[in-house]
Amino acid sequence: MLQAVLSKIDAAQEESLEKLFDLVKFQTIATDPAFHPECTACAAWLKAYLESFGAKASLHKTMGQPVLIGRWNEGETKLPHVLFYGHYDVQPVDPLNLWASPPFAPRIGVTARGNKAVFGRGSADDKGQLLTFLEAVRAWINVHGTLPFRLTVLLEGDEEGNSEVLDAFLKEQGAKLKADIAMICDTEMWDDRTPAITTSLRGCISEDVVVTGPRIDLHSGYFGGPARNPLKALAAMIAKLHDAKGKVTVPGFYNGVKPVSKAKLAGWKALKLTEKKMLSGVGLKVSAGEQPYSLPEQLWARPTLEVNGFWGGYMGVGSKTVLPAKAQAKFSMRLVEGQNPLKVRKAFRAYMKAILPADCTISFKSHAGDSSGIAVAEKNPWIAEAAAALKDEWGVKTALVGSGVSIPVVESFRKHQKMESLLVGFARHDDAAHSPNEKYDLESFHRGTRSWARLFGRIAKEMKS
Amino acid sequence: MNLNNVVERAEAGWNKSLERLFELLRIPSISTDPAYSGACDDAAHWLVKELQAIGFDASSRKTPGRPMVVAHYTPKDATAKTPHALFYGHYDVQPVDPLDLWHTQPFEPVLKKGADGVERIYGRGTADDKGQLMTFVEAARAWIDATGSLPIKATFLIEGEEESGSPSLIPFLKENKDELSCDIAMICDSGMWDAKTPAITTRLRGLVHEEVQIEGPSIDLHSGMYGGPATNPIRALSQLVAALHDGNGKVTIPGFYDGVSKVSPAIKKQWASLKFSEKKFLGSVGLKSAAGEKGFTALEQIWARPTAEVNGMWGGYTGAGTKTVIPSKAHAKFTFRLVGKQNPQKILKAFQAFAKKHLMKDAKISFSGKGGGSPATEIAENNPYILKSAAALKAEWGRETMLVGSGGSIPIVRSFKDILGMDSVLVGFGLDDDAIHSPNEKYNLTSFQRGIKSWVRIIGALAG
Repeated sequence: MLQAVLSKIDAAQEESLEKLFDLVKFQTIATDPAFHPECTACAAWLKAYLESFGAKASLHKTMGQPVLIGRWNEGETKLPHVLFYGHYDVQPVDPLNLWASPPFAPRIGVTARGNKAVFGRGSADDKGQLLTFLEAVRAWINVHGTLPFRLTVLLEGDEEGNSEVLDAFLKEQGAKLKADIAMICDTEMWDDRTPAITTSLRGCISEDVVVTGPRIDLHSGYFGGPARNPLKALAAMIAKLHDAKGKVTVPGFYNGVKPVSKAKLAGWKALKLTEKKMLSGVGLKVSAGEQPYSLPEQLWARPTLEVNGFWGGYMGVGSKTVLPAKAQAKFSMRLVEGQNPLKVRKAFRAYMKAILPADCTISFKSHAGDSSGIAVAEKNPWIAEAAAALKDEWGVKTALVGSGVSIPVVESFRKHQKMESLLVGFARHDDAAHSPNEKYDLESFHRGTRSWARLFGRIAKEMKS
Repeated sequence: MNLNNVVERAEAGWNKSLERLFELLRIPSISTDPAYSGACDDAAHWLVKELQAIGFDASSRKTPGRPMVVAHYTPKDATAKTPHALFYGHYDVQPVDPLDLWHTQPFEPVLKKGADGVERIYGRGTADDKGQLMTFVEAARAWIDATGSLPIKATFLIEGEEESGSPSLIPFLKENKDELSCDIAMICDSGMWDAKTPAITTRLRGLVHEEVQIEGPSIDLHSGMYGGPATNPIRALSQLVAALHDGNGKVTIPGFYDGVSKVSPAIKKQWASLKFSEKKFLGSVGLKSAAGEKGFTALEQIWARPTAEVNGMWGGYTGAGTKTVIPSKAHAKFTFRLVGKQNPQKILKAFQAFAKKHLMKDAKISFSGKGGGSPATEIAENNPYILKSAAALKAEWGRETMLVGSGGSIPIVRSFKDILGMDSVLVGFGLDDDAIHSPNEKYNLTSFQRGIKSWVRIIGALAG
């Protein structure tokens, strides 16, 4: 049953690539209103595409770009129900002069590492990735006429901009969009040979802080000594935020953080992630993260508190003997499953106030876009099925990894649909997802499609047994 | 010679002295603006003419910038033992913006009596420094008018670039070293303790700066993908800044306090008698408590203790909104105010060693300060010129002369010491409310009149 589909996929590679080229040509930069007509046209193209292999499809208005929903086997309530999520919007293309070819004129070229790839904005993120799933569906239906499961496809156009658009839509839809599992194709493989399922995502909150000392900038000769220096005050506060072992000292910061299960740890250990492998490429040697945790734990299972920017006083050429009135810093905190973003923010503010030196005042500003950390329940049967399917295709055991980055839709699905997510993706480290010369390896595209077909095959087998 | 005669002569000439000051004040000698370079020439020529009229051998000397006025007076009966003093002032003034905040025209000086009964001279340069330099010019005139001669050898050095960084001064001092080297320099560009209490500034802090760059990763990193393991250079720099002081505000750099001398009990007592209000001083800039070294008063912290300060610090994303980046680099600018015999080069070395030692494991540090720096100037309280000047000031004002410090550095004092080998006595009659560098600059009439009489007495004391 599966073999015929895989053969079909192999035979139709050219046709699949044509679909990808068509899709990449749409300049779907949703953050720029000038490109909104392109988003609308792209959604319409996708609707016709889904309908071409049997979907009952509809476009939905949102606060932002249209959401496309396509359904197969809608009345078949006995079949397992899969929701597939992808996004058709892309990142802006600046700086344009660094592109070797126009970003919306897709072409096949060779990567720096000698792999054949499709170059173009969105080729990987997320047009190429979402097509791996949809092309697998198309091949399956072409061969067998119908899918072995109920499928709802949800494609949105605001992922790179305002994640609140989809969150509001999902909230409004509620149970109507609930499926047994949400499948998302927007993540990476572990390496060129090793397929990966992402089972944890860190959330993120950010805070701006201003510390004020004297009313005005002061002459360091006339006031140096007695006058409180806010640069020193804020620097000293930052120095207090971590202990010698890299642990965050904010009381209550780690509330709700759970230890990683032994099974998961064993899996991460097997990945053999070394400091050299991870850090040497960016000029570092030793991890500055929380001890005694391993690198994967530091990245995927432990929260962080980082300074992203700091400024105050004289920053020009030469020297100026000034004691500034203000010092400012931007902080972000990466959160893991169990931490409450609101409580963490409150704890951070309380601690900063508690360690503020005399004669200083402090103010805080938050930015929208809080997200929680998420860990997918490990006993989820879909993970085991997907891991097996991926292993069948790639011949290497599937890595269950975490990601330091948040994917807000996972939290929205959990909140509004009470639905867990399965994150499988075929992107590579060198895809340049948000950068000039974005590409998607042909191998990712082709074997990604085959990987999904293998998962469908496993679902079909389950249904029979 | 009878000192009282000279004093009376000075008093009798007050009106004429004021007229001459007004003439000088009318010349808009703004040194920083090339449009006024002609006015600077005029001011220099005016001074040369006045000094020649008194009996000085005076000339205006060319420099790459504004001219330097040099004048000499040698009494007929002078011997090798006759004391020789150099008097320093500057004829250039600050720009006048914002002009709309002036109540009178900046270069049309006026004498006005305030509601408090105090008479004040208003105009740019009244206090800084034309009114001040004319106090010693008019004192010299009174001596010569009353007795036919000055009782000491005198050299006047009046520059025209003080408000624009004195670029020509050091080369000029070097080129004319023999001509300008005297026993002592008298600088009239500072203030009194208050309107009734004379002061001599005997301590000026030195200064050295350094710039630091700390590098973590070689490129900016995504804080989601690297946050945790990646060394954050802002954190590294913050740790260094935090480590610079202990809980008592003491600088923790090993060897930092080498060469710092203790303030003598006599001076401590004198400073305590100043009844300096920490509350008022800090309150004026929105602060409440002194953040400096514990165990020292705010005055001691400013005048007699060294500091390590961050003047600027930056790194990472500083724009609007958020960017979850772990930056590659962080920067900071530091200055160290020095006292006593602290050596700027040793301080820099000690700081660099300290910074390297306190660096986070995986961070790299580099220093890009220009080096240099100047040590502190401390003139011994028992320096005979200080003692004589203090006694003369006390005779004029009827109050003990305060020996005070200044937290800032006055470069000319260093130059006189280093190039010409002479100490400086800083005597001035400015007051805190003179609004120097600001609109409505003024100089109290009593500062001018009794300033002249003070110099009459100091010149007499130097001769005796």
